[in-house]
Amino acid sequence: MHQKFEKIFSYIIKGLTFSSVMMLIFIIVFIIKESVVLFEKVTIVDFLFGKGWNPLGEPLTISIFPMILGTIYVSLLGILIALPIGVGSAIFLTSVLNRKMRKIVKPTIDLLVGIPSVIYGLMGLLVIVKFFEVHFDFSSGESVLAGGIILSIMVLPYIISTCDESMIKISEQYKITSEGLGVSKWHMIRYLILPACKKSILAGVILAFARAMGETMAVMMVIGNSPVFPKIFGKAQTIPSLIALEMGGAGVDSLHYHALFAAGFVLMIILFLVNMVFHYIKKSIEI
Amino acid sequence: MKKNNKHIGIKLWSSFSGIILMILVLYINIYIFSKGGSGLNSDFLLDMPKGFPLGTEGGIFPAIIGSICFTGIACFFASMIAIATAVYLNFYCSNKKLCGMIHVVIQSTAGIPSIVLGLFGYTFLVVYLNLGLSLLSGGIVLSVMIFPFIEVRVEKALGEINKELIYASYALGISKSYTFFKIILPMCFSEILSAIVLAGGFAMGATAPIMFTGGVVYAPVPNSLFSPAMALPYHLYMLIGEGISMENAYKTASVLLLFLLILNSFGILVELFRKVE
Repeated sequence: MHQKFEKIFSYIIKGLTFSSVMMLIFIIVFIIKESVVLFEKVTIVDFLFGKGWNPLGEPLTISIFPMILGTIYVSLLGILIALPIGVGSAIFLTSVLNRKMRKIVKPTIDLLVGIPSVIYGLMGLLVIVKFFEVHFDFSSGESVLAGGIILSIMVLPYIISTCDESMIKISEQYKITSEGLGVSKWHMIRYLILPACKKSILAGVILAFARAMGETMAVMMVIGNSPVFPKIFGKAQTIPSLIALEMGGAGVDSLHYHALFAAGFVLMIILFLVNMVFHYIKKSIEI
Repeated sequence: MKKNNKHIGIKLWSSFSGIILMILVLYINIYIFSKGGSGLNSDFLLDMPKGFPLGTEGGIFPAIIGSICFTGIACFFASMIAIATAVYLNFYCSNKKLCGMIHVVIQSTAGIPSIVLGLFGYTFLVVYLNLGLSLLSGGIVLSVMIFPFIEVRVEKALGEINKELIYASYALGISKSYTFFKIILPMCFSEILSAIVLAGGFAMGATAPIMFTGGVVYAPVPNSLFSPAMALPYHLYMLIGEGISMENAYKTASVLLLFLLILNSFGILVELFRKVE
């Protein structure tokens, strides 16, 4: 009886694992298969570095160059804003607050992660975009800058938690020695902890970059969505927002549809590479 | 005097950033709840969307139920396969190469942006498998999205169990399944639960994966797995995107945020509780 159960249990575990792995592989293969169709008609170089996005009109041009630039631009901008605040907050959490306060403050970061992206979009549209429209002479507040600001808030927790983790480790390692030598706390932070955290900060930035590039809703709601080359105060479009906006109107198996799949595929490859770099750096920290 | 001011720059910088962080968190929550919380009443929570265009009046009852259903289905599928995979990797897989390959596949899936998963769900589940816009298609896509999230956490929790305990159990001739149910599962039950709850919050807030796979602008309360449903984040997006009703958008946002606050604080509480023990 018991042996039978043991056998069934192991079959269930193995079966579920096998099927889940197969499913994940299938998804990746499926996306590749649907996008490859496009490259029979449009060369990869044209698709990546061509002139513009016009999958329905004449002349037919299918290129996601402006969207790739837009995605990278808005993500980099978000990280640029988030980086100083994120690293500063990590120091604040590890060094300024005492243990008790830290326990209270740390979960607020988790709350920031828990806010859904539509609500970030709502805040972006009603607070940031409105602010631009009222206080600056913009024709429309929807801009790359607005997207960057919203993304910076969204990626902040990733930068903080990566830095915070290694800052605690390093300060525990050297605390007794540096206190014994009479080094002040702030001197230690400035000349020991911060330089030692360089790699973790980099890892946090890369993780944040991956998150920012894949973000759909919040960016889509504030960036204006026009497939032009991005400028900081102008509108732009990102790959996820392109897919989200045009998928509903593209018929299955049309060229437009395959182009959207190919755009998703390109984004997937970029994110895959970014994630590989992240894991590589993280591994080198741990050793 | 001079010595005290030596590190004033870094002190100011860190305090300033910390304060900005706190203000941001408080501001977002207070903004949403102050604008939407006041008008919240049982009518809004328990009524159907009404008016023209739809959503200007009435409530969001089908969206609340729809969101709960999507989240429930996603958590059910994802936790089942995620726990099985984590158990397999920790206790069954003896081939290191195979383990590494499974990890690579899971990590690659974690990197797929949610909108691309939605795209896959639309083509494969909705069109090819003919499941239609339904709770099931949306739930499956969401479960693929949260699968890596749960798997990584459960695997970590299982890996942190004292190995001697498990070897002792094996050495006594106790079977793997008995060891799992009597020793391993009780020890990391709270971690597994918190991983599932946090992933549920993640699924509940996601819009992009259900946009083409199950979320619709209007549907009554779903009565089967194959019926389409409304979802809070998608409804909220519609209300803002189409400029239907700002007042209702704020109210919907505060309901959604409240749900997520409850789910997340539950997850945080479980984790805190465990550390106290």
